[in-house]
Amino acid sequence: MTVGPMLDEWYPVGIFGQLDEAGRKTMLMDEPIVVARDGNGDAKVTDSSGRILPVRVRYGHVWTSLGEPKKELFAIPEADQPGRRFVDVGVVRVRCSPLRAVENFLDIAHFPFVHTDILGAEPHTEVQAYKVEIREDVDEVWATQVQFYQPQAAKSASGGITTQYMYRVAGPTSTVLYKTCPPRPSEWDVITLFVQPLAEDLCDVWPWMALFDDDTPMTDLIHFQQTIFLQDRSILENQVPRLLPLDPGMEMPTRADLTSVAYRRWLKRHNYTYGAQLVAQ
Amino acid sequence: MAGEAQHLLQERMTILGELDAESFVPWIRRHAAKLGVSQVITHSGPDRIEVDLSGAPELIDMMEVGCLLGPINVWVETIDRRPVGNAGG
Repeated sequence: MTVGPMLDEWYPVGIFGQLDEAGRKTMLMDEPIVVARDGNGDAKVTDSSGRILPVRVRYGHVWTSLGEPKKELFAIPEADQPGRRFVDVGVVRVRCSPLRAVENFLDIAHFPFVHTDILGAEPHTEVQAYKVEIREDVDEVWATQVQFYQPQAAKSASGGITTQYMYRVAGPTSTVLYKTCPPRPSEWDVITLFVQPLAEDLCDVWPWMALFDDDTPMTDLIHFQQTIFLQDRSILENQVPRLLPLDPGMEMPTRADLTSVAYRRWLKRHNYTYGAQLVAQ
Repeated sequence: MAGEAQHLLQERMTILGELDAESFVPWIRRHAAKLGVSQVITHSGPDRIEVDLSGAPELIDMMEVGCLLGPINVWVETIDRRPVGNAGG
């Protein structure tokens, strides 16, 4: 398997605040790397041959690339907005394709069945029509006008509400969710899923949040998001095929899956196939 | 089940893009068969395929969603749908 054009993209490889000079040994698309803090306190990433890789520190995380990124790391303007709390949720290792992890994050229909009584509940299972597009100007996938009834939409929610969502795929393994902010309805809470592809069928998932919530203790915010993702992990690790199919021949996607289909179309257009299955089997 | 039959649709689906009709047309036929949608290919070319479909509205929706992605060697730019008759009613 060749990595192809995904080589030149940015990937998260650790939480900046947790780095030390000894470094963290990890993998990026089958390549061993070391993520460390240098003598000046800056992040440094090296591959197995000692080559120094490009580095960015943004959204609480260290980002790198095995290739030569043609674009700067995507922007999240809310990361600079005063009054938000920024939450480094930590890491969850998942034995699945990194593309599967992103696709699962984009899927609304599973909420009542996997995150029962938190992000969804029966009989509120219907996904209302929403809008999906590949935005050519920014080369990103966006789903807007998404709404879903949620019993406990966020740690700060005090009961069931119909939650508004926008989904954004900003990189092949980076996705951003904008969601109704219960204590401040004019703003969006930002919840991201940054996925580090370790191998085609193994990834580290680094959720990060930028919230308006002055009351909930940090440990509770982290625990809430980890609970959600650990519920997803058991589903993700049992999906067949393990890689993400780019040919829906063995599946029957519905209108509710349009975000997933747009994501797969976008991957296909860019030849982003690391972690993908090209032909239905 | 006359009530169900009234909900069948007949639509012409026009698929535009970079289409490898030789592989895409059999793929469309297989996908329609899996969904239980009747299909007749009325035009196939490298940049346009037209197919007349008959089936339940939800299944024709699923046909459109599946074709939007299609097989790996095909790039579907747009899909247009319009009624061509009034099946079952």
